[in-house]
Amino acid sequence: MNKRFTLIVLMAVWLMMPAMAQVQYGTDQYSVRMSLGYNHNTTYGHYGSVAIGAFMPINPHFEMQADMFFSFQNTHALGVQVRPKFAVPVGEIYLEGRMLAGLYARDGFNDLTQAIAVGYRMEYVSFQLGMSTRLIMETPYDWHSTSNIIVEPFNLTYRLEVFVRPKVSPWNISMCISNMTDYQIERVWQPIFMANGRYNIDEHWQVNLSALCKPTGMFHLNAKYYAAEVRGGFAYNF
Amino acid sequence: MKKSIILIACAAVLTACNPDTWNLDIVGMVSGSSPQIDKRIDDSFAYNAQHGMPVIAASAENYRVYVATDTHVDRTRTNWETFISDYRNDLSCPLAIHLGDLINAQNHWDYMKLPVDSIPANPLKKDTLLVVAGNHDIYFNQWGEYISRWKTSTYYAIVRTPSGKQDLYIFIDTAEGVLGTKQWAWLEQTLKWADTQSFRHIVVNTHTHLFKRDSSQGHTSNMPIEETYALLHMLQEHKVEMYWCGHDHSREISQLHNMTAIVVDALFDREPHPGYLVAEVGNEPISYKFVNLTSN
Repeated sequence: MNKRFTLIVLMAVWLMMPAMAQVQYGTDQYSVRMSLGYNHNTTYGHYGSVAIGAFMPINPHFEMQADMFFSFQNTHALGVQVRPKFAVPVGEIYLEGRMLAGLYARDGFNDLTQAIAVGYRMEYVSFQLGMSTRLIMETPYDWHSTSNIIVEPFNLTYRLEVFVRPKVSPWNISMCISNMTDYQIERVWQPIFMANGRYNIDEHWQVNLSALCKPTGMFHLNAKYYAAEVRGGFAYNF
Repeated sequence: MKKSIILIACAAVLTACNPDTWNLDIVGMVSGSSPQIDKRIDDSFAYNAQHGMPVIAASAENYRVYVATDTHVDRTRTNWETFISDYRNDLSCPLAIHLGDLINAQNHWDYMKLPVDSIPANPLKKDTLLVVAGNHDIYFNQWGEYISRWKTSTYYAIVRTPSGKQDLYIFIDTAEGVLGTKQWAWLEQTLKWADTQSFRHIVVNTHTHLFKRDSSQGHTSNMPIEETYALLHMLQEHKVEMYWCGHDHSREISQLHNMTAIVVDALFDREPHPGYLVAEVGNEPISYKFVNLTSN
């Protein structure tokens, strides 16, 4: 138990290191951000959550992002994203590598998802397609066996986001469909619908608002509401 | 371009209305046409309250349970008839289970049910067939058709042996890939009650599988991640020994700490590797074997 706690703390510190340096996806500045969320799903009911993240554009061809998510249902997530990127005549193409640890302490499950994707982003549209692999582990771990590790070897990931304003605008709103957020990667048939908005108060401070809806059963062809989230917070651009 | 997209979308919607040409209820991607799970539960509970839960007498301490799924009966039902004939002629089988997707699309309910009513059982035995709804069973607003024939989709059954030992079989409706609030509460309450009853075995039966371990599923979906883990936790906390399901069409066994989750092969006639499961239930942990049939 103590060893596990130490490992989690070390991992958290490591994830937050970019935040101490500094920024935010789609901009050229280092940033840190924090938000509070109201969440609901038909499994847990109503609950709250806190998300902390950092964005770090190391150089014009490489950026990193780290995210931490804590919910009052005792489900948490830690994620790291790295993106080599290449400018093209219109927009930029990027590769994305992700590691996401889902810590479902309330249910005694942890999962580790690795994802790679290729994306293309322009002023008004961003598109990404990739794949992920998930390891599902039940706690307490059986360190002497791999038979309790469930492997979901291949899953398609996707993200399509449409913005109403160019990137340099002081405010923007986007609509997005994806099976990923910064702190969850769902199976291919579990799309998440999102609306995101930001407003730059000044050159440093930015307000972020987002909402998402996750239906279930779409590919059972019996779609039904499953989960929703409303999230608000701020970011500081260095 | 815009006109083309609209035309394709209209064609998809119109095609989805005719199961003879296209057996998928595409409109269901936006909103399911049958009542949603919390309403379906009300229908199941109303029947349960009136008729009680089935209690099945086994003729010996050890008995067999035959488990089929995803028959998707439409123009043919050869494997389904084979399954019925097999379990009805097994003197050790007091219980057969169908895990959903009984039919492929609408207009096949009577054709699907006919062998259940007509294939004779061995006169030396009695048996019971219990079913649970799958996603195909509620397409095209067919919940009414399902409930009029099979009466309930959320319930439990008890198999009682001559010495008084009891095994619990719980059936939950996951035809939408989610349990829903009311059914979740019922399942939790049922499992808590089961903790006080000294059941020899507890088995949960449903349609939707838990994991995406391969790509055999095609477009079929699981439950959301949160629901998957929470359900697994609850089942194991209450010592559920097995989780039997279908939907995936492809055999899969997942061993968790205290529970085995089995995806049973589809029995669909056009499936390349159709089959069913036979479980041996006795005083030892449940064992099982798969019976392979031939594609038709």
